[in-house]
Amino acid sequence: MCLQKARGALMRLVSVSIICMGFAQVAPAGMIGTAYMLDDESRAASLSRIEVLLARQDVARQLEAFGVDQALVVQRLNGLSHAELLELEGQLDAQVAGGDIIGLIGAVFVVLLILELVGVTDIFKSF
Amino acid sequence: MLTGCASIPPSVSELPQAARAIELEDTPFYPQERYQCGPAALTTVLAQSGAGASLEAVVDKVYLPGRQGSLQAELLAATRTEGRLPYVIDASLAAIWRELETGRPVLVLQNLGVEAIPRWHYAVVVGIDAERGEVVLRSGTDRRRVTRIRTFLHTWRRGGYWGMVVLVPGQLPTAPNRSRYFEAIAALEQAGRAEEAAWAWQTALREWPGDTVALFGLANAHLAKAEYAAAETAYRDLLERVPDLPAARNNLALALAAQEKFDTALEQIRVALSNNPDPAMEKELRDTEATIRGRMAGAGD
Repeated sequence: MCLQKARGALMRLVSVSIICMGFAQVAPAGMIGTAYMLDDESRAASLSRIEVLLARQDVARQLEAFGVDQALVVQRLNGLSHAELLELEGQLDAQVAGGDIIGLIGAVFVVLLILELVGVTDIFKSF
Repeated sequence: MLTGCASIPPSVSELPQAARAIELEDTPFYPQERYQCGPAALTTVLAQSGAGASLEAVVDKVYLPGRQGSLQAELLAATRTEGRLPYVIDASLAAIWRELETGRPVLVLQNLGVEAIPRWHYAVVVGIDAERGEVVLRSGTDRRRVTRIRTFLHTWRRGGYWGMVVLVPGQLPTAPNRSRYFEAIAALEQAGRAEEAAWAWQTALREWPGDTVALFGLANAHLAKAEYAAAETAYRDLLERVPDLPAARNNLALALAAQEKFDTALEQIRVALSNNPDPAMEKELRDTEATIRGRMAGAGD
């Protein structure tokens, strides 16, 4: 999906550049741009940040109390698109910019938020 | 965009202890016409970097008459069409100071109104006087607008602490943020500026030796410039370090096919496919395979 979007953007750029510039070079068709690898990298960073959260003892205990299998959550996380992961991270960030997220908003809330966003629960829709 | 450390607002206290005063007096000045602060500010920083864009040309690229203004994304894009690398600086006064010390003025977004009634404005910071607590700007129709640092920080905060510098590809920002710098180069590549991207990746590799993304970027720049043998060597070096990079194998296959080394090219695709790439990547690889086979058939005629 990301690739298609990038390719669409590239095609638009290519068509614009052919019209108005002599300097731009056109990459060969099928070349995967550097942005793809950067995107991959930042996706991996988001994932590992959320997984670190999940692995915390207080969070893990809460997951267990809700009867949710942590492996299932990780599996769902892996299935999220980069945009969805960024949204999840953004939601977590929005609660507190920097600092200790868990300390400020509590393990229960973090767990609920993650579960909601990976589609295990459907609590927040009712708010 | 949320950044993790945005909770610490920029302040005078972050300026280096020894900071006195700095002013880039030779920064040119382009007084703005009505509403056109974006083009005027951008022309100023472009000119300082040695790019010879005229104010009129920049107006055409970034000014949106309907909005009576310019968007940040357009300022970035217009910088790229001049073959320059726009870099968004850290949200701190120290970052502005560092850039000024290197001789680069900083284009900033300010909100001169209040949050309820915003009045967006682009200006260029050309000096900071730490002792007098003043900031010097090229702003609007003022060649040398002097503002108190505290006032400036208020207007800059309401502008989201957004600021950018114009780098000549091959220059590093001071205290560069790796991922932000790399994103900036990748955007240059997407704008078709392979030559400039190559310089920027080479510079990146001096700062981050052996970096996978930078090596990939440099190889891509060679491929985009149709330097197929150089691209082949660069992809092979990278894959020797990090074998499981289907994107690099895909591009290596293209570099090989361009040199009519079709069998080796197809072998690379086969290796990449055997490593269980994700579905989107698998489709890319299959497409490339079809392209190569097509070209093979054409070459055989």
